[in-house]
Amino acid sequence: MAKLSLNALSKRFGRLEVLREINVAIERGAFISLVGPSGCGKTTLLRIVAGLEPATSGAVLLDGRNVGAPGGDRGFVFQSDNLLPWRTVFDNAIIGPEIAGRAGAAAKDRIRQLLRLVGLEGFENYFPRQLSGGMRQRVNLARALAIDPDILLMDEPFSALDAQTREIMQTELMRIWEEGRKTVLFVTHQIDEAVFLSDRVLVLGRRPGRIREAIDIALPRPRALVVKRAPEFVAYVDRVWRLIEDDVRASVIEERA
Amino acid sequence: MRGLHFAGLLSIVAGLALWEFLSRVVVANALFLAAPTQIFGAIYRLALGGQLGAHIAISAAEFAIGYAIASLLGIALGFVMASSEVGKKILQPWIAGLYATPTIALAPLFILWLGIGIWSKVLVVIFLVLFPVTINTEAGLRTTSARLIEMLRSFGATPRQIFFKLSLPSALPFILAGLKLGIGRGLIGVVVAELFGSRAGLGRLISQSADAFNMPELFAGVVILAVAGIVLTAGFTWLERVLVPWTRD
Repeated sequence: MAKLSLNALSKRFGRLEVLREINVAIERGAFISLVGPSGCGKTTLLRIVAGLEPATSGAVLLDGRNVGAPGGDRGFVFQSDNLLPWRTVFDNAIIGPEIAGRAGAAAKDRIRQLLRLVGLEGFENYFPRQLSGGMRQRVNLARALAIDPDILLMDEPFSALDAQTREIMQTELMRIWEEGRKTVLFVTHQIDEAVFLSDRVLVLGRRPGRIREAIDIALPRPRALVVKRAPEFVAYVDRVWRLIEDDVRASVIEERA
Repeated sequence: MRGLHFAGLLSIVAGLALWEFLSRVVVANALFLAAPTQIFGAIYRLALGGQLGAHIAISAAEFAIGYAIASLLGIALGFVMASSEVGKKILQPWIAGLYATPTIALAPLFILWLGIGIWSKVLVVIFLVLFPVTINTEAGLRTTSARLIEMLRSFGATPRQIFFKLSLPSALPFILAGLKLGIGRGLIGVVVAELFGSRAGLGRLISQSADAFNMPELFAGVVILAVAGIVLTAGFTWLERVLVPWTRD
C-alpha cells in the first residue's frame, strides 16, 4: 500500500481553480519532488497534505487513513525558517514534542542526536539571530524531524539560501535522508535540485495545477554533487525543463503585466 | 565605545560649566537663573534637613502605586482588546479618546473628589499611564507573525498554546515599550497634580519655592525629577536587554 495517496485532490480559492484532480501515490521511503512554474499550486498542494489548508474535494490518505488537521505524523519544513527568536536552537527544535506534551528526557536525548545529525552540535544554546541562513534551515529541518513524522513535507526550504550554501544543504539533506529514509515530499522551483534529490519528480502544469508527468530518476544512490555534471543528469533536467518551459514563460509574462 | 562615553561626559560637564557661567556672570541674579552649584547646595541643605526625603517619599509612593495599577490594568485591557472583537469595539473609542485627551487637566477635579492627599495624584498617574500600556499591549498581541502561527499550527498547537508560546512573548517588547512610555507621563502626572494642590511631594516643593522666589530649591525639585526619570528609563532599557534580547540589532 502506498504511504501517501492523493485521490482526485482539487482546490479552488473562490473562482480561481488552483489544483485539478491530483492523483499521486507515494511509496514508503521515497523522495518525491514537485516542480512547476510559480502559480502552479505546488505549495498549496503541500499545505493541503500538511492540513494547513482544506481541500475543496478529494482526499489525502496516509497509510490508508484520511488525514485532515495537522498532526504529528507529518513534519513540515518551511520556506522561511520560522524559528522563534527568543528560543535557543535546542528549544526551537523541541517545540513539536513540547506541543504534544512529550518533551521529556527521551525527547531531549533525541533532539541532541538530531542536532548532531544536522551538523549543529555545539550550537544548542545559540539564538537564531546568531546563526547563518543555512544553519537556521538546519534547525528548521531538525525541528520537523523531532516529532519523528511518517512523512516529511518540505516547502522550498533552500530557496532563500545563496547558491553555494544551497548545494551544500542539498548534499546534507541527502546524507540525513539516507540515514532515516523517511518519505519526503519536496517542493521546489529548482529543477536541478529536484532531479538531484529525488526518486521521482512530479511536474506540475499551471492554471489549474495538475500533474503533467511523473519522471522516475534512475540515478544511483548515494549521489554526490558531481552527478550534476553527468550527461544522464543533464538529460533529466532538460526533460523537466522542456515540460514546463512554456508554462514558465507564460507565468513570467503574466507577472510582468 | 569608551571614546563615546567620554564625549557624553564632556558634554555634560561643559554644559554645566556654561550654565554656571551664564547664571553667575551674565544673568548674575539667582531670582532668574540659579547656578548648578547653588542648586546642588539647595539639594544638600534640603536633604540634610530631612524635607527632601519626605517630599521624595510622597511623590515616589504616588507614582509607584499609580504606575503599578495602571500597568496591570493596562496589560489586562490590552489582552481583552486583542482577544475579543466585541471587547475591542466596546473599549476602543474610550481608550483612543482618553489617550488623546490631556487628562492631566482633570487633576483639580480629582483633588475635589479625593482630597489633596496621595490618592488624587495616584488617579492622575493611572489616567496618564494606562492608555499607552493598553494600546501597546493590544498592538503587540495583534502583530503576532502569521508565519509563526502557521508553524505552531503545523505541529498541532491549540489556540491556548499559540497564545502562550508565541503571542505573549512576541508582544513583550511592545508591552515594555508602553511601560517605558508610561514612566515620563507618570512623573509629569505626579508633579502637575501636586502643583494643583497637595501637602507634600516634589511638585509641592516646586510650587512652594516658586511662591518664595527660591529658585535654587525650585531647580532642586526639577533636578531630582529629571534624575528619577533618567534612572527609571535606564532601568527599563536594562530590563529590555534582559527580557527581550532578541529585539536588539
